Amino acid sequence: MSSTVAVRKKHGGKFFRFSKIEPYLYIAPFMLLIIAFNFYTFFIGGKMAFTDAQGINVGEWIGLENFTRLIFNEPDFWPAIGRTFLYTFGCLVTQIPAAFLLAVILNSTIFGRIRGFLRASFYVPVLMNSVVAALLFRMLFNKDTGMVNWILGLLGLNNNIDWVFNPAYTMMLMIVVSFWQWTGYHMVYLLASLQAIDPTIYEVAKLDGAKPLRTMFSITLPLLRPAFTFVMVMSAIGGMQQFAYSYMLFPNAGYGPGMKALTGVPFIYRIGFSNNFEFGYATAAGWLLFLFILVVSLFQLRFFGLGQADEV
Amino acid sequence: MYAIVKTEEKGSLIVQKTPKEHRRGKGKTIKIIAIVMLALGYLFPLIWLLDTSFRPKVEIFNVPPRIFQAAPWVTFKSYSFSNFTLAFEKYQVGLALINSVLVTVSAILLTLIVCSLAGYAFALLKFPGRNGIFFVILCTMMLPTITLLAPYFRVIRVLGLYNKHLGIIIPYAASAFGVFLLRQYYIRLPNSLMEAAVMDGASHLRVWWQIILPVSKPVLATLAIYQFTAIWNDFLVPLLILRNKTLHTLPIKLQAIDSVNVAKDYDAIIATSFIAIIIPIVVFLMFQRQFIEGISGSVKE
Repeated sequence: MSSTVAVRKKHGGKFFRFSKIEPYLYIAPFMLLIIAFNFYTFFIGGKMAFTDAQGINVGEWIGLENFTRLIFNEPDFWPAIGRTFLYTFGCLVTQIPAAFLLAVILNSTIFGRIRGFLRASFYVPVLMNSVVAALLFRMLFNKDTGMVNWILGLLGLNNNIDWVFNPAYTMMLMIVVSFWQWTGYHMVYLLASLQAIDPTIYEVAKLDGAKPLRTMFSITLPLLRPAFTFVMVMSAIGGMQQFAYSYMLFPNAGYGPGMKALTGVPFIYRIGFSNNFEFGYATAAGWLLFLFILVVSLFQLRFFGLGQADEV
Repeated sequence: MYAIVKTEEKGSLIVQKTPKEHRRGKGKTIKIIAIVMLALGYLFPLIWLLDTSFRPKVEIFNVPPRIFQAAPWVTFKSYSFSNFTLAFEKYQVGLALINSVLVTVSAILLTLIVCSLAGYAFALLKFPGRNGIFFVILCTMMLPTITLLAPYFRVIRVLGLYNKHLGIIIPYAASAFGVFLLRQYYIRLPNSLMEAAVMDGASHLRVWWQIILPVSKPVLATLAIYQFTAIWNDFLVPLLILRNKTLHTLPIKLQAIDSVNVAKDYDAIIATSFIAIIIPIVVFLMFQRQFIEGISGSVKE
């Protein structure tokens, strides 16, 4: 360190000698990592999808065979993609309205001192491991010993429902766990966005005689549009990459009764890492899912507006 | 005019509440009670887990839950650490806990150094290609790379990181979000802060270390917290990479305990779950502000 200072003093310039390459040295560690783990993955994946690679075997070039097999001959592929969309859609339409409702309630002034406690209670499930949440809900939804059937019994309803082993409830169960874990996250984001709105706007509206409902639709919702877009895009990207619930919510990694919990990433994991280690095949499936996710997020951005995101 | 309004306001404080105001007060209390009940109901699965982890195996699946069967001081008599003893002795959960802490702490430290250095350069130094490179980094943030499981697995193997903790720690430092977050923060720092130091002949490395890092403690804490939840709870990547039982982190350990087909040790599962969630919850209660800012920070962007 002292030698560079000496060099600089001698030259009297503002920056010392290697200042031209210096910025690159600072970004180098990060760039090396992102090249190694992102770009290199894309590079290897670009090749691997067209081979019959198996495990550590590099395999031979087989052209588009993996893709045609997936699209035309794979009985599990389209159902898995369909479930991915269904799951993601189910998560979006339940979590975001609920999160918004909670955010509006918590934003009201009557909760002054306990707002922190309320926000924390809805947020805490976010901190939990998805594996723990899945195992916990498996126990809560147990037919004989679960809390859910007990409560249904207390309410005098049919409480002989086999939630975990009846395929009719599989998707609902995954959406319920996701709801419990992630609604609080969206709520905190929407609450912060609500609090970022300039209160004078509401005062002016009140002076103009606007009713609360009118204020909601003409002021709050339009101003929250970027926040809604952000929450929706993030939650769709997350939902479409979901793995832990499919793998852990149902006993013995069977992806639920009749494999009805097999969504995109679990499907890829299954063909790549638990059956025949068909790496080439799994990579082709990975690219297709990659494409679906990208299309969905771009569509959302387009449809609901980039909002502030394009100002980056 | 102003004075009159003021005295009127003051006056209304002394005047007794009208019936309408009374009703409004009552409605407020009901609303508060309702939302608190809702919050407690929302927390119920968690409360059940925390309670059950101290109960003997025979009481775990009691219906109704043991905690509702009698007064707390009666049911608390059955509390013990036996589930934890089982988890630690039969399944080496202690080792998994150490692994989780080790992986998480080192990954966070590495992330902070790597991302902060890069963020500093992107925010405050001028160099050809800066905006182009930064744009590419931003784009990677949107890409669902995890779908490419098999190629990623091969990369890890090629780099000699398979079945090693480093295989989880190092990739985490490549956080595009981290660079973005820090760059946005550094860009808003007043120029005078750095100029004086540069005039005095301090090198950029020194400016970064002695000026930038200390003033950016809040945003570093936000990033650390963000990474903490992501790494601590990561499941899929460790499941792929960590083969040896001795390397397992808590989520993988849970999966391993659960993977027994017959006579699952639900008591050990519950105790391990307790350990896996209590640490993030305690950290959250300590650093609530940073957690909330981590989410809402992007509101301001």
